[in-house]
Amino acid sequence: MKPKVCILRADGTNCDVELFYAFEKAGGKCEYVNVNQLRDKSKSMQDYQILALPGGFAYGDDIASGKIWAVELISFFKEELLKFHKKGGLIIGICNGFQVLIRTGLLPFGNIGKMDATLAPNDSGHFECRWIRVKSEKSEQIFWMSVNHGEGKFFANKETIAAIEQSGLVIFRYIDNPNGSLNDIAGVTDPTGRVIGLMPHPEKFVDETQFANWRRDKISKPHGVNFFEEMIRKL
Amino acid sequence: MIQVVRVKNNDEKDRTKVYRLEGISEKQAKILAENLLCEEISQNYTINKPIFSNAIEIAYKPGVMNPEVASIIKAASDLGIKLLACDSSREYLNKAPVFNPLIEDIVKKEPKTLLIKGIAGKTKIIPLRQLTNNELMALSQDKLFLSLEEMKVIQKYFQKIKKDPTDCELETLAQTWSEHSGHKTFKSKIVVDGEEKEPLITRIKNEALKHKKNIVSAFVDNSGVMDFYDDFAICGKGETHNAPSAIEPYGGAMTGSGGVFRDIAGTGQGAKNVISQDVFCFAPPDYPTEKLPPGTLPPKYLLERVVAGVRDYGNRMGIPTNNGSIHFHEDFRARPTVFVGAYGIMPKKYAKKGIPKKGDLIVVVGGKTGRDGIHGATFSSGEMSERTKEVNATAVQIGNPIEEKRMFDALLEARDENLIRAMQDVGGGGFSSAIGEIGEELGVSVDMKKAPLKYQGLSPWEIWVSESQERMIVVLEKKSLKKFVKICQKYNTQASVLGKFDGSRKLNVTFGKDVVCNLDMQFLHHGLPKKLLKTTKPKSHPERAKRVEGSLLSQKEWIRAIEKVLESGDVCSKEPIVRMYDHTVQGTSVLPPFTGVAMDGPNDAVVIRPLLNKPYGMIVSHGLNPALNNIDPYWGSIWAATEAISNYAAVGGDYKEASLINNYVWPFPDEESLWSLDQSVDAVVDFMKVLKIPVISGKDSLSSTYRGSDGVVIKIPPVLIMSVFGKIPDVKKTVSSDFKKIGSTIVLVGKQDLKILPKVLDTIYQAIQTGQVLSCHDISEGGLITALFEMCLGGGMGAVIKQISLFNETAGTFLVEVENETAAKRLFANVPYVILGKTQKQNNIKVEKLFEVSVAQLAKAWKKPMEEIFS
Repeated sequence: MKPKVCILRADGTNCDVELFYAFEKAGGKCEYVNVNQLRDKSKSMQDYQILALPGGFAYGDDIASGKIWAVELISFFKEELLKFHKKGGLIIGICNGFQVLIRTGLLPFGNIGKMDATLAPNDSGHFECRWIRVKSEKSEQIFWMSVNHGEGKFFANKETIAAIEQSGLVIFRYIDNPNGSLNDIAGVTDPTGRVIGLMPHPEKFVDETQFANWRRDKISKPHGVNFFEEMIRKL
Repeated sequence: MIQVVRVKNNDEKDRTKVYRLEGISEKQAKILAENLLCEEISQNYTINKPIFSNAIEIAYKPGVMNPEVASIIKAASDLGIKLLACDSSREYLNKAPVFNPLIEDIVKKEPKTLLIKGIAGKTKIIPLRQLTNNELMALSQDKLFLSLEEMKVIQKYFQKIKKDPTDCELETLAQTWSEHSGHKTFKSKIVVDGEEKEPLITRIKNEALKHKKNIVSAFVDNSGVMDFYDDFAICGKGETHNAPSAIEPYGGAMTGSGGVFRDIAGTGQGAKNVISQDVFCFAPPDYPTEKLPPGTLPPKYLLERVVAGVRDYGNRMGIPTNNGSIHFHEDFRARPTVFVGAYGIMPKKYAKKGIPKKGDLIVVVGGKTGRDGIHGATFSSGEMSERTKEVNATAVQIGNPIEEKRMFDALLEARDENLIRAMQDVGGGGFSSAIGEIGEELGVSVDMKKAPLKYQGLSPWEIWVSESQERMIVVLEKKSLKKFVKICQKYNTQASVLGKFDGSRKLNVTFGKDVVCNLDMQFLHHGLPKKLLKTTKPKSHPERAKRVEGSLLSQKEWIRAIEKVLESGDVCSKEPIVRMYDHTVQGTSVLPPFTGVAMDGPNDAVVIRPLLNKPYGMIVSHGLNPALNNIDPYWGSIWAATEAISNYAAVGGDYKEASLINNYVWPFPDEESLWSLDQSVDAVVDFMKVLKIPVISGKDSLSSTYRGSDGVVIKIPPVLIMSVFGKIPDVKKTVSSDFKKIGSTIVLVGKQDLKILPKVLDTIYQAIQTGQVLSCHDISEGGLITALFEMCLGGGMGAVIKQISLFNETAGTFLVEVENETAAKRLFANVPYVILGKTQKQNNIKVEKLFEVSVAQLAKAWKKPMEEIFS
């Protein structure tokens, strides 16, 4: 049976359609769920195997990117999230979704309610949209991905960065660091491997023609496909 | 009691963020500081204690909407704390940065409350019937912006019905009859050099409707709609927001974007926005400040802030901003042109509005109504003067994209549930315009007391004409209301019933029980006197500037001449700006603005795949040439349209499957400017005739003249922005502009001649279809040499070509890369073409007998101007 994917939305979520498409393409059965439907209990996250937080500007990214949504999740779904995670569910955040997971504390160490790292404003000081290369820590494969953010600089104190490295929590590193992230960190996981977050957008490259240079670079497999296939495999 | 929380980033020494939280205790403020406002990992905070001893605080003025406030109230409530009100602002150590006193202010005194209180003003009766001509004009000036003749028609109407108007009735008439809403010039017959011609709009419509093949709806809805594939339709619309952008560029650009997105969202029973497009014209960024007319802002500031506004609105909405251009001319120094286009898609069954029935409800959805944006429509129809900034501050507002985003999400879901009968964007003129328009046939009664307000104290007429952003009027059957409200709640957007269609053929507006407006729809919509306009051809015209050309220059002079072209404002790279706009959101991008080895080669048009699981493509491009319009408006307009359609064809578009959108941004139509407008419209009509494709949407903004108190008059160069959008069955059959292969053949295809243009466009399309075109770029601003340079840059290679005219801006011609000369001869046999040369590995451009220069050297000149401003 196809794993059920909850594409969670809040006011200002805007990369939900392509994330839905990417997961379906990789074999998931997706459903859009608005966070208000979880709050009024007309939907339950326990009915899904994957909880995916898309990119966007949840609640305008006011105060700090992803902050308002992170406060909402901590305030109403702390137990639900822990339960979901414990029974083997996967939690994935891309771009704004990653910012939310970092601000809930779920990433990198699974300390819900306590922030251990942050995604700070880009060194350039503004939003940037470009294609960059990232390297998978595990497979050492290089992927093209699109970055579209203004606050993506992965930042923590020295000890925390060392702990992240020692525990092997980095999953992707930038080859072309677009934001000044420490240690070129583009994506991390929690110690269980079942909470995953990254700034670049694998969901925007699951068809050949989505890549800017598809006319000049031969592409055997769209670079984002691997990511979603692996997520489904992880279950 | 207000608690003041100050938050400082550890790595910033000279600024803090200030939050004022009303109606909570200090203990509660601490909870908010620790859980919401401050992040320990990189910030610190104080409560009710200054961080700097000498701080200057800059805050939005009371009543200017601060988008952050709603989020703070929501998050506080999620943390179990109920705020009565709040605000956020910034504090700076010792010295304040540049700010716009129209919307922001230095905080001198701790406010006692953040709540804006007031008692709603009463509806006033204006004793119009006995006013003299001078008194009528005094009433009109700065407020109604109507002519004496129009004021007198209104006066006569009220004399006839034997009463004096309310303030609300006068405002409604002024708004409906404004140039902005009424398009008086376009609807009037014109006598040109003694010969009477049909009104401009009639000429455009008559020709357009001869080319109906793809039209779903034209000139009747909020945007033009054309057929797509598989029971889908696509739509497009362009709008300018010049007047607000001239005095508050950030808010002006934001609300311009928000408005045109609502036009798309409010087309038929609702469309999804899939492309955002923007075109700006400014004075050169280095224009000397001391030469600026009083009451105007520096062009560099305008450029930076307009870009920021487009960025912050489009990115937050999740609409890819992927087509646009920027042009510079010193005569835009008093009034810039800020154009935003938007394109959408919808199932064809929702592409047309339903007809409202008696008893249907009128519902306002989205944002609340405030005092912001009052007189926007009438104001933007007036000319600009030094007094503009002072008198019309209320016309300025900031947008809140998230308010609009959640409203759109709700409306699309409601549409798919078949709940929506019709929709109208609340834009210029506010409720007055939106409700006045949808109610024209049946008549409506609405109660302004039911409109949700941002704060108390608005008079009924203010609620009625306020242009507060992010609102739509939706027409529902009564039985759909419950379901509709439920969907709105899911998306945190508010829906309130204002009234209903009552069959009275009148516009009945009340405030509770008080009647504030009771006008005949007939008089409101058809009482405006028809004008007969006159114009004659001006005697002299400025000469066209001669470009450097010929073979007398040395290699060094040639290279310098090319660098000068490449670093000119219209030609230079806009990449630093475009990178701040999101163009890959929605995952639809097939051809982004830049591609190539280093992804810095610019493309001619954007191609998207609006339905992710289908191969169908949508292409958008545009063209304009204000400088040429100044010299020859007919030729300048043909050039603009040719450039637009050539951009479209260069990426692989089939011009026969395209529709046009024309936007006229003109100086006030005095005799001289009316003549150029007439010429421009004739050019557009001729263009349609030759290409056999229709204009299906458009707009005019005829007020870009500045009058200074010292008698200085500045007219902008007339701007015709021609946009093209259309469909292709397979996105794989499109090309980019970057050279692909070393040793391939470079061909110049086409000739600058409208008569053969269709054949050339079709030849380019057919050639791309065969898959034999490796890259293609149209020749426009900056001439052939610019196109060649951009193709080399994208391809990471060089080229050798024979001697040819390098700088002529020959719209309608193309540089095409094909495998070899045999292919060129086969593909282009039916049209004029010249084999120019070959691509080469060495990264140089060599023009035989003239010069050789490295691509890198040219790239430096081409990239420098915008990098200096934006990096």
